[in-house]
Amino acid sequence: MIVNRTMKLLLAGAALTLTASAAVAQTNLRVFVSSQHRPDVWRKAFDMYEAKNPNVKVTIETGGNTSEAQAQYLNTVMTAKDSSLDVMILDVIRPAQYAAAGWTVPFNEVLGGDADAYMKRYLPAYAEANTVEGKVVALPAFADAMFLYYRKDLLEKHGIQPPQTWDELATAAKKVTESEKDTNLQGLSFQGKAIEGAVCTFLLPYWSMGKQLVSNGKLSFDKEAAVKSLKLWKDFVDQGVAKKNIAEVATDDTRKEFQAGNVLFAVNWSYAWGQFQGAESAVKDKVGVVKLPAVQGGQPASCLGGWEWGVSAYSNNKTEAQKFVQYLSSPETSEFMAINAALLPQFPDVYTDADVTKAVPWFASARPVVETAKARPVTPRYNEVSDIIRTTVNAVLAGQSTPEEGATQMEGRLRRVLR
Amino acid sequence: MATASETTLVTARNESGTKWWTRFLDPSERTLAMLLLLPAALLLALIIVYPVCRLVWTSFQNLSLTSGAPAAFAGLENYSLMLEDPVFWETTWNTVLITLITVPGALLVGLALALMANLPFKRKWPVRLSLLIPWALPLSFAGLIFAWFFHSEYGVVNDVLGRLGFEGVIWFNSANWAFAAICLTIIWKTSSFMALIILAGLQTIPRSLYEAADVDGAGRLRQFFEITLPLLKPSIVVALIFRTITALQTFDIPFTMTRGGPGTSTATLAMYIHQNTVDFLDLGYGSALAVFMFVLSMGVTAVYLRMIRAKG
Repeated sequence: MIVNRTMKLLLAGAALTLTASAAVAQTNLRVFVSSQHRPDVWRKAFDMYEAKNPNVKVTIETGGNTSEAQAQYLNTVMTAKDSSLDVMILDVIRPAQYAAAGWTVPFNEVLGGDADAYMKRYLPAYAEANTVEGKVVALPAFADAMFLYYRKDLLEKHGIQPPQTWDELATAAKKVTESEKDTNLQGLSFQGKAIEGAVCTFLLPYWSMGKQLVSNGKLSFDKEAAVKSLKLWKDFVDQGVAKKNIAEVATDDTRKEFQAGNVLFAVNWSYAWGQFQGAESAVKDKVGVVKLPAVQGGQPASCLGGWEWGVSAYSNNKTEAQKFVQYLSSPETSEFMAINAALLPQFPDVYTDADVTKAVPWFASARPVVETAKARPVTPRYNEVSDIIRTTVNAVLAGQSTPEEGATQMEGRLRRVLR
Repeated sequence: MATASETTLVTARNESGTKWWTRFLDPSERTLAMLLLLPAALLLALIIVYPVCRLVWTSFQNLSLTSGAPAAFAGLENYSLMLEDPVFWETTWNTVLITLITVPGALLVGLALALMANLPFKRKWPVRLSLLIPWALPLSFAGLIFAWFFHSEYGVVNDVLGRLGFEGVIWFNSANWAFAAICLTIIWKTSSFMALIILAGLQTIPRSLYEAADVDGAGRLRQFFEITLPLLKPSIVVALIFRTITALQTFDIPFTMTRGGPGTSTATLAMYIHQNTVDFLDLGYGSALAVFMFVLSMGVTAVYLRMIRAKG
């Protein structure tokens, strides 16, 4: 009887120790991936990591189909100091904000003394976007930039070269739409709705004139250039190059209209390419992609996009999470995501990798565009800056205010935010 | 002739004025009454007084969650910022305008709907059900549906206009048209609520009054202005109070229809509060705006209550 009881106690004790040690060894990482960035393919990358690291289990959480929606969700989680997320994907405009708010942990300790060398492997813009005051606050997940998509077939038909300046684009658009006599065909589609994309809409010609919006954290607003930039887009509407309701058009509307064969030129991010070549696309194999035009006498400029991996400051598994992020931000994962999800690599070499160019041939020509893309203003109050720019662009395109009024309002509001 | 609800209002006034219950209670019972009321008072303090005090306190602070800096006392800084902020003035004006248009609009439509629903139908439920549907629909859902209705290319409104030989309008491209679309949607959404309250009021009016009026030879129109409308007054005031307060807090419909666009021309104060607190995480400034809205709502309610008192 006594022996029996002792045995039971021993067994129970052993069982307890076993479960306890198992619980210590197993790390659960919860990763947030926005739903428009191929969570299905990321899942495969996570599986590969789990296979190599049996003690780590990765669960995926998706949500937020736009940068704004996703930021709203993450803002809520972070302000609540919620520990449920360990790793999160961030739009390139956010690492600086998150670091300023103390929501992410720097990687410097994990990377050791050679953090600089580690970051130098990436395209310079991403090394820069993820380093705040000498601290590596996030690691790049993939790159992106805005491109000019055009109908190769239609330009060839009319003997026109892809435009180098916005003026050339307007002339080409007028010529093609007039002779095609297709009432559904628009010359140019871009983002006029008050969304993040409209910030880029404003900045493209503004940057092309060699101007900066923020330098050293201070506003360096060039009103004349701002008026010109707003006027450039408004003129497209007034001349009939862009359609009258462009103020209603969001990023994916541009993609859909072009994909349906109703647009000659379109300004859009890299994700559109894969969709244009899809089975349901009316323009499959008829699409060309080049860098965006410049203003007359200016340099072409593109808006830097891309997404970064940050580790939550409230995570209970920070070290494991950082190791995992290093894997996610490695050349191997970049290559895997380029081939399987057509996400642009954050490493210069991966663009010309044989396997990558075989799967996505146009990546070779995408690299120079990404390399010359400019980052949107880096400031912890970026959300406000973004709101000011996008509502102004939207109001000007809708004819609600003139380019001059828009630029004046923009300057006044930006001054208040970036005091 | 006072209706039931008028009587209630009259007693309510006396209650607050003369503390009628002191006459019935001796001191020990008074203590007991206080004790019995205590849980309710505590609950009220917890869910109303505390948040409001906290809101006012936050509005005096520099508290931006994106800066990483701890909260600091800022005095009236947020309020002085507010006065210089053109977007604050614009959104406040938009809110007032929406209130001035949609409250009377919903009242007129609601009154008409209630009168129709009060007609001697054999089957009353289909009428009442159709009155309930817009009211039961979530606001943001109504906004999304109407955003599609008013879409310049795919919307049914422009389609109908086109069939009638008119040129379609790019509704959300102009502040005035966007505003009109939003107001129409709000009136559609809220007039059924007005109708429900007014219908309840209509049913308390005794039929005998109309019969007597018939005997006296009063026409339909005269009956409406001399019997129906005066006796409906209390219901109308109640409906107006509810509707006005919700109108001052208008958020969902413009948010889903235009996001405040074009530019900021259809943004409301509630949207601006949301933007500052949720998107910009500037809790100090957002709270100051919210305090302003709270004061505005209280002010409007006070005006209404004074009106009832004056007419009582």
